[in-house]
Amino acid sequence: MSNHVLRDIHNDARTPVREGESNVNRVLRLFVCLSLLPAVLVGLSACGSSTSGGTITVLMGTAPDSLDPGIGATTQSMEATWIAYTGLVTYAHSNGEAGTKLIPGAAESLPTVSSDGKTYTFKLRPGLVYSDGTLVRASDFAHAIERTIKLNWGNKGMLTEHIVGGEAFDKGKASSISGIKTDDATGTIKITLTVPYGPFLNVLAFPAAALLPSSTPMSAQPNNPPAGIGPYEITNVISNRSFELKRNPNWPAHSIPGIPSGHADIDVRIVSNNQSEAEQVLSGSADVFDYNDTIPPTLISKVESQASERYAKEPTVSGEFFFLNVKSKPFSSPLVRQAVNWALDRRALDRLDSGMLQPACFFLPTGMPGHPTAPCPYGDPGAAPNLAKAKELVKQSGLAGTTVSVWGQARSPHKEFVDYYTGVLNAIGLKATEKIVASEQYYATIGNLSTNAQTGWASFSQDFPNPSDFYQLLDAHSILPKENHNLSQVEDPHIQSEIASLSPVPSSQLDSVVGRWQSLDEYTAKQAYLAEFGYDEAPKFVSQRIDFGALVFHPVYGDDWSTLALK
Amino acid sequence: MMGRFIVRRLLSLLAVLFAITVLTFLIFQAIPGGDPAVRMAGRTATPQEVNDVRQQWGFDQPIYVQYAKTMQKIFDGSVVSYRQQINVEEEIARDLPATVSLAVGAAIIWLLFGVLAGIASAMHAGRPLDRALGLLALTGLSTPVFLLGAVMLYYLGYKLKLLPLEGYVGLTSDPWGWFTHMLMPWIALSVVSIGVYSRVLRSNLLDTMGEDYVRTARAKGLSERRVLIRHVLRNSLAPIIALWGLDFAWVIGGGAILVESVFNLGGVGEYAAQSIQSLDVPPVMVITMLVACAVVITSAIVDVVNAALDPRVRLQ
Repeated sequence: MSNHVLRDIHNDARTPVREGESNVNRVLRLFVCLSLLPAVLVGLSACGSSTSGGTITVLMGTAPDSLDPGIGATTQSMEATWIAYTGLVTYAHSNGEAGTKLIPGAAESLPTVSSDGKTYTFKLRPGLVYSDGTLVRASDFAHAIERTIKLNWGNKGMLTEHIVGGEAFDKGKASSISGIKTDDATGTIKITLTVPYGPFLNVLAFPAAALLPSSTPMSAQPNNPPAGIGPYEITNVISNRSFELKRNPNWPAHSIPGIPSGHADIDVRIVSNNQSEAEQVLSGSADVFDYNDTIPPTLISKVESQASERYAKEPTVSGEFFFLNVKSKPFSSPLVRQAVNWALDRRALDRLDSGMLQPACFFLPTGMPGHPTAPCPYGDPGAAPNLAKAKELVKQSGLAGTTVSVWGQARSPHKEFVDYYTGVLNAIGLKATEKIVASEQYYATIGNLSTNAQTGWASFSQDFPNPSDFYQLLDAHSILPKENHNLSQVEDPHIQSEIASLSPVPSSQLDSVVGRWQSLDEYTAKQAYLAEFGYDEAPKFVSQRIDFGALVFHPVYGDDWSTLALK
Repeated sequence: MMGRFIVRRLLSLLAVLFAITVLTFLIFQAIPGGDPAVRMAGRTATPQEVNDVRQQWGFDQPIYVQYAKTMQKIFDGSVVSYRQQINVEEEIARDLPATVSLAVGAAIIWLLFGVLAGIASAMHAGRPLDRALGLLALTGLSTPVFLLGAVMLYYLGYKLKLLPLEGYVGLTSDPWGWFTHMLMPWIALSVVSIGVYSRVLRSNLLDTMGEDYVRTARAKGLSERRVLIRHVLRNSLAPIIALWGLDFAWVIGGGAILVESVFNLGGVGEYAAQSIQSLDVPPVMVITMLVACAVVITSAIVDVVNAALDPRVRLQ
């Protein structure tokens, strides 16, 4: 694509759809509307249902890192690519926990898994074609995986560390991945793993593992993303500014059950100012506010009062907690850890987060299979805390007056969380002071064992909807000298044996062990290895033109654009 | 005389530009210590990728070769962002129209209104108009750009719908759209500078008005207007023009990051901000060089203009 063409597209793409309307324009528009009244009256029969067609403008506060599925690893990227690049398996397009269910994508069914849990065998749906009309072949899968590894996808370790021959290929010691065998004639794809890895199907559901034509170059194509299998295709990419998702003309021929075909074309614009983003959706000059962004506190009450029918707080599968280093006094004492859990007023922490936090106590968030249904062991998180009991427990532990350094991040509201938490620790009889670190250096600092961080704020968002993803944070194997993920430094034999037993269970069979994950998470909460205080919520906010009820808020990918429809 | 001055200035411009390229190279590649290939390739790079970067940029060779390779990549337009794998110079070329539109419009506004307010203040020094203009200038100076931008967006864009909420429209594709999209950014960027320019010019004018040659001009019987324009203003404008040149170059080089971000103009400043956030070294290095070159070249042009206004400059 020449520069000249790029510039022309850029100018067009930057022209807002309905911005800058003068009053004269509004009068003209009113006149046109009145003249069209008869037609509107005829169309009233369709009132109340969503319609197909048209273009919907979606705003994003942060540009995707890349729209090439082999590179894109941010939520902004995958929000777009998951409806343009369908893997062998994908997720059900549903709200809540139902959306974590894996369904067959390009494969005609979920795979057969060998009894040792190491071999996954898929069969391609017959007659599939890419958005450019090319026939899909089984060997395309091997090409796509090799390309993703070569392009250094951010999570490529999930592939190279588990597929036989993945590391050798990555290091240039092999020209292909020996653990992937394909047969174009039968459409069979056989993947062999080094060890059983339960979440492997979740990894295959990433757009980065989706099939691509074998002719796709082994180099990054950020401005001209390759053809894929999906209801949409990504076009007219102006990096860091805008892109479009057009309905894939080749999709209706082989629509996959469970994957919506899409109702409208989607224009995505990057808007770096959240206030402007919210005002545009509120006023109707754009249609969708990105769930990754924050509605400014100055506008939130306006949004809640003026747009209550098109705004909701949706739970995300991510948690906020204070880690409690069990190898360091005073948190080596279970009584002190319990005291912290009794003393936290999670409602106050919710207020500090502008009401975008669902008070909670369990490590596995709502929406994650395995989230417990039992009551919280140390008081209702939605009610007042029990400070008297907390003080009593600290007294009983004999550790009252112990000095505690509370680590926190300079960014708001994380700093405010730590301010509040430090006050609570002092109130229950400890001697706490804050240590605030610049956001960029925070995890590197507290993750270094030589720092010996006693307690502090941390948060975690799922990579994929499998509880083992969260439990790597409490796995003794994650205690590392420099990039320590197990900040509480938990080495609990029961947790270890359960992780060892549950993690290899394939995601397609997760239902069979959900009860055990629930029990494990209840056990973790009782041990008070950390003080979970809430699950993040995200705004689902659209313009009046959009059918709000039809829009799915997906637990993995947020606003499901393939369900966006005009009223 | 003027021709020799221009040649002299051009030669020193080339020398300064060379020095800038060396300094930029040293700041980004040589001084920070550690392996520049690791820094350049980003935090998630594999050893293989780091090795590729090392070879591409010549980091395994003597420092003068590294400098030459870096300059070659910058000047032949082949620098690629390691985070997004996008050509950096194409991105800058694409974003430059928005930044130039912002810089030109705002510079005209702040110069025009700054000079008018400065003259009015000086002419009415100590009187209510001077005090009112002084208060306005102070208000402008102390108003943060992001606050002013947010207030304008809310009232002019969202409530009254008089102006578009954000974005940039190309001048050639829609001149009226371009104007309406740029009006708020121009005002937001100009307000602070109008305050500065009016105060500086007022002070210069009052100083100049006390000079002997101004008294002589008045004694010759020249009209007050002629004295002001020919003798006072002409001699007081030199520092204003020098300041204007530097400010203009600063905006061209992406200095108006806040304004570009608040109004989502998609200019060079916004690109710089995105690159800094993601610690993407190649674009930050190229933009730094662009800013430095813009400042040096504009300052040379300003010197030539000053020399034309004031013959004494040519002799210095």
